[in-house]
Amino acid sequence: MEISRPWRVARDFLAVFVTGIFMFPMFWWALTSVKPMYAIFDKDKIVWFDFTPTIVNYAVTILGLSRSQLAIEQGFGMGVTGDGGYDSRQTILDSAIVSVGSTALTMAVAVFAAYALSRMAFKGRLSYLNWVLGQRFMPPIAILIPLVTIYKAAGLRDTDNVYMGYVGLSLIYALMNLPIALLLMKSFFDDIPKDVDEAAMIDGATRWQTFRKIVLPMAKGGVAASAVLCFIFAWTEFLLSLFLTTEIRTVPVKIQTFVTSTGSEWGFISALGTAAIVPSFIFILLVQRHLVRGLTLGSLKE
Amino acid sequence: MASVTLKNIVKKYGDVEVVHGVDLTIDDGKFVVLLGPSGCGKSTLLRMIAGLESVTGGDVEIAGSRVNDVHPKDRNIAMVFQNYALYAHMTVKDNMSFSLILARRPQSEIDEKVGWAAKILNLESYLKRFPRELSGGQRQRVAMGRAIVRDPAVFLFDEPLSNLDARLRVQMRTEIKDLHERLKTTTVYVTHDQIEAMTMADTIVILRDGIIEQVGTPLDVYDFPANLFVAEFIGSPSMNLIKGVVEGGHVVTKGGVKLPLPKKHKAKSGQKVVYGIRPEHLDVGKGFAVKILVTEPTGPEIHVYSEFGENEICAILRERRDLKRGSMLELAPRLDKAHLFDAASGKVI
Ligand SMILES: Nc1ncnc2c1ncn2[C@@H]1O[C@H](COP(=O)(O)OP(=O)(O)OP(=O)(O)O)[C@@H](O)[C@H]1O
Ligand SMILES: [Mg+2]
Repeated sequence: MEISRPWRVARDFLAVFVTGIFMFPMFWWALTSVKPMYAIFDKDKIVWFDFTPTIVNYAVTILGLSRSQLAIEQGFGMGVTGDGGYDSRQTILDSAIVSVGSTALTMAVAVFAAYALSRMAFKGRLSYLNWVLGQRFMPPIAILIPLVTIYKAAGLRDTDNVYMGYVGLSLIYALMNLPIALLLMKSFFDDIPKDVDEAAMIDGATRWQTFRKIVLPMAKGGVAASAVLCFIFAWTEFLLSLFLTTEIRTVPVKIQTFVTSTGSEWGFISALGTAAIVPSFIFILLVQRHLVRGLTLGSLKE
Repeated sequence: MASVTLKNIVKKYGDVEVVHGVDLTIDDGKFVVLLGPSGCGKSTLLRMIAGLESVTGGDVEIAGSRVNDVHPKDRNIAMVFQNYALYAHMTVKDNMSFSLILARRPQSEIDEKVGWAAKILNLESYLKRFPRELSGGQRQRVAMGRAIVRDPAVFLFDEPLSNLDARLRVQMRTEIKDLHERLKTTTVYVTHDQIEAMTMADTIVILRDGIIEQVGTPLDVYDFPANLFVAEFIGSPSMNLIKGVVEGGHVVTKGGVKLPLPKKHKAKSGQKVVYGIRPEHLDVGKGFAVKILVTEPTGPEIHVYSEFGENEICAILRERRDLKRGSMLELAPRLDKAHLFDAASGKVI
């Protein structure tokens, strides 16, 4: 359909405007992260661009520069607390371990389960899918207290053994991610015509070979897209991480500790936050094409 | 190479029976076409031969041994699917070598076989491409290549040409037939296109609603249809079928026009029958008068649609003449080519 020029301009303008509204917090976040203290806290005016950019917030949070050292250099010496508390290198590592671990676990289960749901006929196949999805209806906070108790009893808390802490957190993230990963993977597998499986079988492939050499490679874009969604969920999750771990500090929990009794360290908050967006952003770019397809849950044919 | 035998094959989906006891013997090296309208069970039958669908009753035999419970991969068959079912993530070469790699054939043999197939199918310059970079006809040929490299006992085709445009279809038809002439591999070919069936088959099997209506060579089923369904299904324009009653050496039709009985028949006086005559077996001459409705010149011939009594009839005339709508014409059926069917059972008499 041909759209008249004024309408087209209006439509483009609206699109840019709406995108702008959504992008603005991220922009402000990134801008804040390179502002020096005086530009963040100016009680008289909002500072846009008239400041000298600094990387000091990044230096403290992700490069491990000492906070008190910084304060001395900047010349306000005493009264600075939380010397090592802003070094987030271990935090980023913790987040990476838990996110990658839980994603790997989720995908390892989801890929096989989704294949079975897509290709094998067994009793209760459809109700099984509904049941799995039903797991996501319950808000995590509803099960938080029992979960903490269970984790304590099962030795999955990092206070007993830090390695078990990683396992525990990865496990609960995997459980949270499983339904959506399963559903996504099923829709990606459903999109591959069954004839292809049959052709492979006639070519002499066993079921495992058909899965491993034909179906899985054909769905690899879908695997990547689902994995990225799982990764992002784990990377940004706050509540479960806060309650289930003490030693292990994932990025969202760490950021929350920058809000202290002596003030909120906006520079550090925004620096770590901005840095944390980067991996998700890169992954999203890589799998964007498949994600859009995946989120429509197979309703579109190529 | 091998023969294929179907013994009283029954297929049920749940409680619904879709194939009702099919018996068929396909001799070694033959090209057999399963022909029938949509939903008659052609694909189901083919898939049961392939082992992709379980058999509810009866036996499938390949090369004389029962294969009902043999996995498709162990049946030594190759199949070409309607949508080709190529492996999208593999190159043309890898698509064709897949079965040979699974069978752990030596690399030299794989290269040789794939090279041979690519040559036969004119795919040599496309071996490194992916299926998405090929045209429909090329994809179709890759699917064929995947099948022939294996040297299977039986080829199965499920409407392999239906996704191609008309010109390519004719071309591929010839190529498949040529391939069969060269390889002489037993072939079962499913189609609902009667031209494909007529031109390619050694034997045509005509199916309707899960039952075999007739088995025969293409010319057999054309010249001697066993029943009304086959008579009407084969041929275009289709055979004229005119209802009537046998009375004193004639078939008296609705409206009282008398048609002379065919040379050979076993009809009794008073029997309700259907008189069958192909359009090309009607000549202009002393016979019965018809009123012309529509004429369609095709170039080599003229299709004349006309009516007599309360019946409609189509004739194909080869000589050109001036035929006006509403004018009268006298048509004479060739009595050695006319058929008589029992009106109740539909069987030829
Ligand atoms: N999985 C199934 N479940 C139930 N009924 C089925 C199934 N597959 C096929 N049928 C039925 O079996 C009958 C035969 O189907 P089949 O696919 O063999 O037809 P066909 O002759 O190949 O038709 P077409 O020319 O349209 O491909 C049809 O009536 C169809 O509805
Ligand atoms: Mg079919």
